[in-house]
Amino acid sequence: MRFQRTEIAEGIGFSSIIDEKFKTTSIAVRFIVPLSSETSAANALGMAALTTTSKAYPTPALLNEKLSALYGAGLTSFARKRGDLQVLGVSASWICDRYAIDGEDISGEMLSIVRGCLFEPDAENGRFSDEPFAITKTDLLDRIEAELNNKRGYALAKAAENAFRGEPAANSCYGNKETASAVTPEIAFSAYENILRTAQVEITIVSPEEIPGAEADFRRELSAIDRSPVPVVFRSKSPVKAEPETLSQEMDVNQCKMVMTMKSDSDDIYAMRMLSVILGELPVSKLFLNVREKLSLCYYCASGYSATKGALIIDSGVQRSNIDKVREEILRQIQLVCDGEITDQELESALLSREDILASVGDTPASWSSWYFERLCEGGISAPEDVLLDYKAVTKARIVEAARSLKLDSVWLMLDKEVG
Amino acid sequence: MSEISNITSRQTGDSCVHVKHSSGLDIYICEMPGFSSTVALFGTKYGSVNTMFRQRDDEEMTVVPEGIAHFLEHKLFENEDCKVFELYAKTGASGNAFTSFDKTVYLFKCSKNWQDSLRILLDFVQKPYFTQELVDKELGIIGQEIRMTNDDPSWRVLFNMLSCMYRSHPVKIDIAGTEESISKITAELLYKCYDTFYNLNNMVLSVAGNITAEQVLKICDELLIPCQDKGLETVFPEEPDEIIQPEIREAQPIGAQLFYYGFKCRDCSGEERLRKTLAASTAASLITDDASEMYQDLLKKHIINTTFDAEVFCGDGFFTVIFMCESDYPEEVRSAVLAEIERWKTEGIDEKAFQRIKKSTYGSLIRELNNVDAVANLMLSSHMDGVSPYDAIDMLSELTSQDVLRFAEEELREDRAVLSIIEKEGEKQ
Repeated sequence: MRFQRTEIAEGIGFSSIIDEKFKTTSIAVRFIVPLSSETSAANALGMAALTTTSKAYPTPALLNEKLSALYGAGLTSFARKRGDLQVLGVSASWICDRYAIDGEDISGEMLSIVRGCLFEPDAENGRFSDEPFAITKTDLLDRIEAELNNKRGYALAKAAENAFRGEPAANSCYGNKETASAVTPEIAFSAYENILRTAQVEITIVSPEEIPGAEADFRRELSAIDRSPVPVVFRSKSPVKAEPETLSQEMDVNQCKMVMTMKSDSDDIYAMRMLSVILGELPVSKLFLNVREKLSLCYYCASGYSATKGALIIDSGVQRSNIDKVREEILRQIQLVCDGEITDQELESALLSREDILASVGDTPASWSSWYFERLCEGGISAPEDVLLDYKAVTKARIVEAARSLKLDSVWLMLDKEVG
Repeated sequence: MSEISNITSRQTGDSCVHVKHSSGLDIYICEMPGFSSTVALFGTKYGSVNTMFRQRDDEEMTVVPEGIAHFLEHKLFENEDCKVFELYAKTGASGNAFTSFDKTVYLFKCSKNWQDSLRILLDFVQKPYFTQELVDKELGIIGQEIRMTNDDPSWRVLFNMLSCMYRSHPVKIDIAGTEESISKITAELLYKCYDTFYNLNNMVLSVAGNITAEQVLKICDELLIPCQDKGLETVFPEEPDEIIQPEIREAQPIGAQLFYYGFKCRDCSGEERLRKTLAASTAASLITDDASEMYQDLLKKHIINTTFDAEVFCGDGFFTVIFMCESDYPEEVRSAVLAEIERWKTEGIDEKAFQRIKKSTYGSLIRELNNVDAVANLMLSSHMDGVSPYDAIDMLSELTSQDVLRFAEEELREDRAVLSIIEKEGEKQ
């Protein structure tokens, strides 16, 4: 594998990852902007409109027809939340030219389509074309409505809304029904222009071979934009509430959900991540072994650490009558770590699991692409083996310290309608 | 003696090794140079549909409680002296398992120490340890899993559809069973099922990634315990071609209404099933083709959104083509799908669109070969389906629009279709 990153303009990085084992090429163009309730829906729509149509393919049917003729090439836009930031973008992937039955230049055509979508959108007089935009907007509104269909995902989103209240991270990366409804083709186009002008940009291509001219083509397109990039802060720890809050919502569900958000002011992110692994990311983690296996209280009880917000989130699906028992056991397990109860085997298992995951980063184009993007967000380019050294340096004492820095911020409950 | 053969794709040149091991086990190995991961799947042809069976020497059929294959999968992770996950924790591998309608698969994924992890996998799957105490302890955990899936509208919409489609076939039963059915499971029944289905002659091992065939086979030679083929016979109740009822609705606390519209088709097996699957998935892709006039028209009218999709869902004794979408207008989508099939009957299938969809399918099959997990899964599933891993890509090149039209005419029948809808609570019709 060969990795190379060039800063092709102020605030614009172009990374090329050449890995001969792949049969596909993929590209991700990521735009990083501050997350805000005022702009998140317009930004998401401004980006989604780009992959619905373009100047060269002015109807969704024409664009989709071209993509399927190019052996089912994928082209999609995305909007994600990363702490207090919104990461928006366009990504595409396609099979390599050597597999083209009719000898097509798939890479050349796809890069041209991606650039066309990004820089020559289907818009005139400062607005996206009405009909395709209406489809894009309806799709986003449907997606927002459908969030409730996934109960675990919904519970996590509501818990974040409560835990980070008053901070950008409380918002959804798609906006809500009201803000998305208010976005017009003009507003979305203006958001798109603003993103091109102000966002930090990272372009990443993962391919089995060099693609001559790819970097130069993007450099040329981007140099035509009058840019004034806005610096972004990748890490903004969330302050803990003075008193832990519990919020709940009743629904006609079979299983209750509980999401606990703990916060920490620790900057030792590797110790925090190891703590999360030891607590609840593996089938040998403390929460799995005790809450699930020993007490048979749930099917899942898992943890995850958000370094961007300094928050450890633990979620579980439980019976209403067992909610207190589960909460007590989770807090007891955290207290045990605070008291130094981490076995050598737990530490070794957590490290081996990290090592294994890091070693497999290069096995899919998508994981290579997101690996380097995430590292840039964390402050610099580093290979998986470099990060492994950071994990190896974490001691039991540092994990105990990390656990002691945790404070319960809030609990969000989805309750069934039975009497508790 | 084990028999070793190489299998190569005519279309792509990709290859893998098949071994009929002397123990009775079928083994597939794909060396993938340049990849760091190894994925190993050890599976048995035993899923939720296998509720009735016997072996050659049994006088009577054994009938077991619903959900027992899934229950057994959970319990096999406990050895007499320790839990399997504790062993994997020492190698760094990520171990897991899943039970589907027609298979149970134990797997691990790792980048280091794959040989130790393979030893763990082969060892624990061959060493069951069930006690009534361990069975009772699992009831609460699986009970919560069942409740969780009952809150999942995409799960409910499928099983509601199957319950209206299949009169007798156990595919209509939830894979995990019900809280009531699993309460009837005993350690003795688990052993009975294990002894019947976890016979190496009924199993397959699939390993892909950063490995060599020689190393894999050496470990297999060490650890596989030869099994005598006991003549397993699985039986399914007779299933008529007709459906039970054409429509079913359930209300749930959801944000977006969704539906499945499925056609009950006649089942088949082996290469015939693969050919039929390719014809069926091409027909489904043509109907959900986002470049088509019908799709764009429905999209503009907001009868569908971009979640409109289709899949072929088949296995032993069942074969269905399902159209799905989050939509407030399922009846309109049903009418549009049926009208498109009728249009094909008079106008035929657009050859240009057919060739384009074929290329798209070819592209997705190439992508599958780009991924260690997908290759391991492909080898295992192909074997269990009675075909070779690269047959799909080769058969696709032979598929014609006439094959697709014939499939649609014979199988996509309105009188054998079921519409299943999960409505928003409070908006029930």
